[in-house]
Amino acid sequence: MRIICPRLNLWHRWLNMFDQLLKRLLQGDFICEISDEAGFRYLQDTEHARQVDEFLTRLDYRLSSTQNQLAFYAAYRTIDSGARSDIRKVFQQFRVELQPVVEWLDMMMSCLNQDTALSPGDTLSFSSLLQIIEQNQALADRLQTFAKFKDFTSSDDSVKGRLEKLLSTLQKWGYLTLANRDTLIYQVTGKLDYFYQALQFIQEHEQIPIEQGEVDVIQESLF
Amino acid sequence: MSQSQQGLERLFKALANNCELIAQAYFTGVVYKDSQNQRALNQLKQLKILVTHSADGYRITGRLSQFIDSALSSDRIRRLDTDLASWIETLEQQIGLYQDAWDENRVDDSENYFVEIERLVFDLSDTLEENTRYLLMLVNSRFANVRTLAEKQKQNAFYISRLEKLVNAISSLQPEFLLEIVEEQPLIYELLDQQLIRLLPIYQQRLQDILDKLKVFLFELRQIEVRAQLVQGFAFFLQQNQNYQPQDWSESDNIPEHWNQIKPLALFAYADPLDHALEEDLIEIAQKIPMNTEVMLVKQKQRSLSAVTLGQQNKTTLDLPLYRKQLRVYFDRVLKNEDQSISAVAFQQAFVDDIEPSIWLSCVLNEWLRRQQRNKRLQMELIQADVGQTFSGNKKVRDIVLKFRRAEG
Repeated sequence: MRIICPRLNLWHRWLNMFDQLLKRLLQGDFICEISDEAGFRYLQDTEHARQVDEFLTRLDYRLSSTQNQLAFYAAYRTIDSGARSDIRKVFQQFRVELQPVVEWLDMMMSCLNQDTALSPGDTLSFSSLLQIIEQNQALADRLQTFAKFKDFTSSDDSVKGRLEKLLSTLQKWGYLTLANRDTLIYQVTGKLDYFYQALQFIQEHEQIPIEQGEVDVIQESLF
Repeated sequence: MSQSQQGLERLFKALANNCELIAQAYFTGVVYKDSQNQRALNQLKQLKILVTHSADGYRITGRLSQFIDSALSSDRIRRLDTDLASWIETLEQQIGLYQDAWDENRVDDSENYFVEIERLVFDLSDTLEENTRYLLMLVNSRFANVRTLAEKQKQNAFYISRLEKLVNAISSLQPEFLLEIVEEQPLIYELLDQQLIRLLPIYQQRLQDILDKLKVFLFELRQIEVRAQLVQGFAFFLQQNQNYQPQDWSESDNIPEHWNQIKPLALFAYADPLDHALEEDLIEIAQKIPMNTEVMLVKQKQRSLSAVTLGQQNKTTLDLPLYRKQLRVYFDRVLKNEDQSISAVAFQQAFVDDIEPSIWLSCVLNEWLRRQQRNKRLQMELIQADVGQTFSGNKKVRDIVLKFRRAEG
């Protein structure tokens, strides 16, 4: 006869969680409420976070989180030349992602007719988006412009094919997760919190002008 | 039919016959008297479906309005919580009236009061359940039904204040006091305890959770405004500066915290010889291997090659086995005679003499399975033998009858 002790069972579950989370963190994944709710809750517990951090410390890594604590990831504890070389690669990837992700966020605001930008936890329905874009030529043209980014070129030239490519690439980059395979509902992950943080940093430190006021005035005077 | 049943039927008929007037009163808030509707309005007023709104106007009664709100999951359900405090007050009054009637031995009155108390308790319980469930849904959807940020913020702030009121109202219910005053009335005590008091901590906790979520969401909403501006501004900037690349912040002395991410660890069973970063490590490992080890001593095997000749190959034609020829004849006959059932056993007895019936049947079955995938008009019927153990799971077939169904149309 097999005796199941609830406490032992729970302990095994936690141990499994610890293993899985460490593997995901070492693979460079972001752990957020949307992509891994149980894992995220586990890391929100101070004691569990301390244990994970302690393990990562042996590899000279540490547990880090985005500014709003919406996602956890592994970072270097000491930034030596090896770490710097790796960070350079991460930054190069961010450079690749910057323009298409900004364009996608802006396009979604137009698609959903919202004055708010997407946030972690928001949902996107493939069929709704397809319907909106198919009925609006300006949006269809915007979708087509994604083809200039190498990760978004699609062999299928239809609006459906392009939208599929857009969402699947964003899923591959970790900004979206497929919440429902049958209805093709995507959900924005906590990685977007990190993206906003980086975008804000660049805007502030490179003094990117984000006010469109001047141009509006010029356009107004043309009519 | 009893008098009360008749009354109920009359009420339902009035609701059905005047549904347009009621809908108008519900959606517009008031319906005005004219020469056409005067009679109907009077009847609805008598039945307490409508009440006077102004000199010529009527509005829908509060309870019916609440019922419709709830049934339609309307946004207006949010008004319900404001009634909570007054409901509790009414409940206390009803309990007092019940106790007086009980003490004075007015049995009918006490029964009526009990029914009223019961209804109030259920109403309260339903209201709390509906309100908390509805709010939870709203919170989880992050007010997805409204598009503008201003409206989201307005709704959020409104629900926070409403929730605080609701939490306060539940706190003011004073369960100990209520139970204390009905201590000597076991029926009411049990009713209050089971249907209300025991559920209160659950509702209170649920409301507190919702309140916490709303507060976090309000904080996020404040950031969303900044983010929307950032995204739109950046998108505009990138459109104007197509070749823009951010500075290489990974080269700065102090790397910003958010870019401090580890490179994903990748494990391979072997080293990549094209990765120059590994060159020195690989040389170092190779130098450590002693010359007399098995790996170094082993001779490379001569790889054998397949001989290729250009000469003509002799072709041999294989004859079909006899049973295949006979099967073909049988199936050709079935296909030629549309809508005619032809028995496999009868065919075998007439034309096939060197195959056992059981083997012949199994060949026919196999051939039918192969052909029917391409041609659904080829139908098969198994003729089973009666003998055999019941419920053995086996079928004993004594014949197979094939029929080629005529094409429709």
